[in-house]
Amino acid sequence: MSAIIQATEVYKIYDLGEERIEALKGVSVLINQGEFVAIVGKSGSGKSTLMHILGLLDTPSSGEVIINGTNTKGLKEKQLAKVRNNEIGFVFQSFNLLQRTSVLDNVMLPLKYSNVPASKWMDKTMEMIKLVGLENRIHNKSNELSGGQKQRVAIARALVNDPALIMADEPTGNLDSKTGDEIVKKFLDLNAQGKTIILVTHDEDLAKIAQRRIVMHDGCVVEN
Amino acid sequence: MHLLETLKTAINALLLNKARSFLTMLGVIIGVFSVVTLVSVVQGFQNYITDQFSALGSNTVIVGPGGITTGDPSKAYSSNKLENKHYDLLKLNSSDKVLAIAPSIRLSKDATYKTKTYLSTIFGTTQSVVDIGALNVDKGRFYTDAEDTAKARVVVLGSEVVKQLFGTRSPIGERIKVEKETFQVIGTVASKGSSFDDRIYMPIKTTENAFNLTNISSIVLKTKNAGDVDTVIKETELILMKDLKKDDFTVFSSKDILTSINNILSMVSVGLGAIAGISLLVGGIGIMNIMLVSVTERTREIGLRKALGATSGNIGLQFVIESVLLSVLGGLVGLGLGWLATFAVQSFVRAEVPWWAIVLALGFSLTVGVVFGTYPAVNASKKDPIEALRFE
Repeated sequence: MSAIIQATEVYKIYDLGEERIEALKGVSVLINQGEFVAIVGKSGSGKSTLMHILGLLDTPSSGEVIINGTNTKGLKEKQLAKVRNNEIGFVFQSFNLLQRTSVLDNVMLPLKYSNVPASKWMDKTMEMIKLVGLENRIHNKSNELSGGQKQRVAIARALVNDPALIMADEPTGNLDSKTGDEIVKKFLDLNAQGKTIILVTHDEDLAKIAQRRIVMHDGCVVEN
Repeated sequence: MHLLETLKTAINALLLNKARSFLTMLGVIIGVFSVVTLVSVVQGFQNYITDQFSALGSNTVIVGPGGITTGDPSKAYSSNKLENKHYDLLKLNSSDKVLAIAPSIRLSKDATYKTKTYLSTIFGTTQSVVDIGALNVDKGRFYTDAEDTAKARVVVLGSEVVKQLFGTRSPIGERIKVEKETFQVIGTVASKGSSFDDRIYMPIKTTENAFNLTNISSIVLKTKNAGDVDTVIKETELILMKDLKKDDFTVFSSKDILTSINNILSMVSVGLGAIAGISLLVGGIGIMNIMLVSVTERTREIGLRKALGATSGNIGLQFVIESVLLSVLGGLVGLGLGWLATFAVQSFVRAEVPWWAIVLALGFSLTVGVVFGTYPAVNASKKDPIEALRFE
């Protein structure tokens, strides 16, 4: 199995003048293609910081992160944006859909920043919308959807560029348990189809669905 | 992201807040509207004055009271020393470079025909005004020098006077009253521009006699060639100094006065343009203000776009395009309104929107969009994706 993410000795230090916070203290993780990994830990354990660094939304103070064979150390902002666009799909706790914008346009958004020709955008978008079962709501605005539907739009958006991995940060945190279960099932289906999934959560029960748990505590990996 | 896609995104973002977008544009609309309207109205005045002077021709020399071009014209007329004898003096002594000479007295008086009254300009002059002013007598005839000498009570009417007093009727042979005096209409003059059309031409000696005047308003000389104007000015000054002091009269060409009026109008135009420019500047600041608010409001959107693969350049360009769209659309609406306003005042002045005003207004609004949109756009593009996504 090939590695999708290989993070080595990753440190993240916030220098706040008098105070120096070590959010990550030499974290090394290896995540292979097709895995379903849960990063768990209490609030302040460093799990979100790790996800941001693995998702290239933040840069480590030291250490290196290799995503799908690309060493991201020293990459320029433009190149990092390209790797994010091609290789990573994000699903957030608060959905982060464009307000008062249709389901279609929300799902299509990552394609607009990609090298995919515009002629293919509609087919790819519709394919993903069908995958999450929202083909009857394509023209509905994001504010006209329920929480579960919003998260399904976010999943379709995360998948539309066919990324190497999906990163989900507390994806059921804003949903009731029934809707949350539907979303969990969707992630399991995607994983069964071969997608690599990284789930960040503080919810131990949710983490149980993953094949592997990476437990964070005080900026370190304590269980892998 | 393709430019066309960025443009669509910017249009959608502006349409999401239609009222706010319109109110933001309003500053630029008012700015461009004022620039275009003021410039076109001043241009209209310039056209009007140029028309009036071109009717006189470039080979015209005017003798007016002293200080008319340098001091207060009303004082110049109240201490006027020009008399009909100075016209005679010029007539006798002018060289062959002078083609025609006409004295004139101008008075604003009510002219009455039966029940109708019209405030017109009594223009006391000699027959030579027909050549000098290139007048076209379309009905009847102009008075002769003999009638002038005889102080005959005859008049020739300008087209507006005819229209106001007689409507479509022929005035020839009719009698009009000015103050208590009665005059017979012997001819009419075709339209030649508003300041000519409200004239009632009257023999100068008749005018002096009827209204008990001794002074004349001006003497107009027409030279054979336009190149003779400067020589004739000097020659005229020498002739008049036989009877008058240098300060008692002013000799100038129609070109001189046209140039000085145009200079004044250009200054007025620049001044008004600068004031209108300030309102455009205020419009630009309004755009910047709203764009800064928009960047703050859409911080999470910026974070999301970056997470999904947008570069700082993509984000910056999107906000600059939004700002440019606001200002250019505002500029176009302002231009349209300015054009309508110009059209509306055309019955008063021959206003026109010069091409350079269109280029200036649109260029300026484009610049306003780019300049005032850049700071908010840079602000937006520099947002850290993590902090932006966490923004509440």
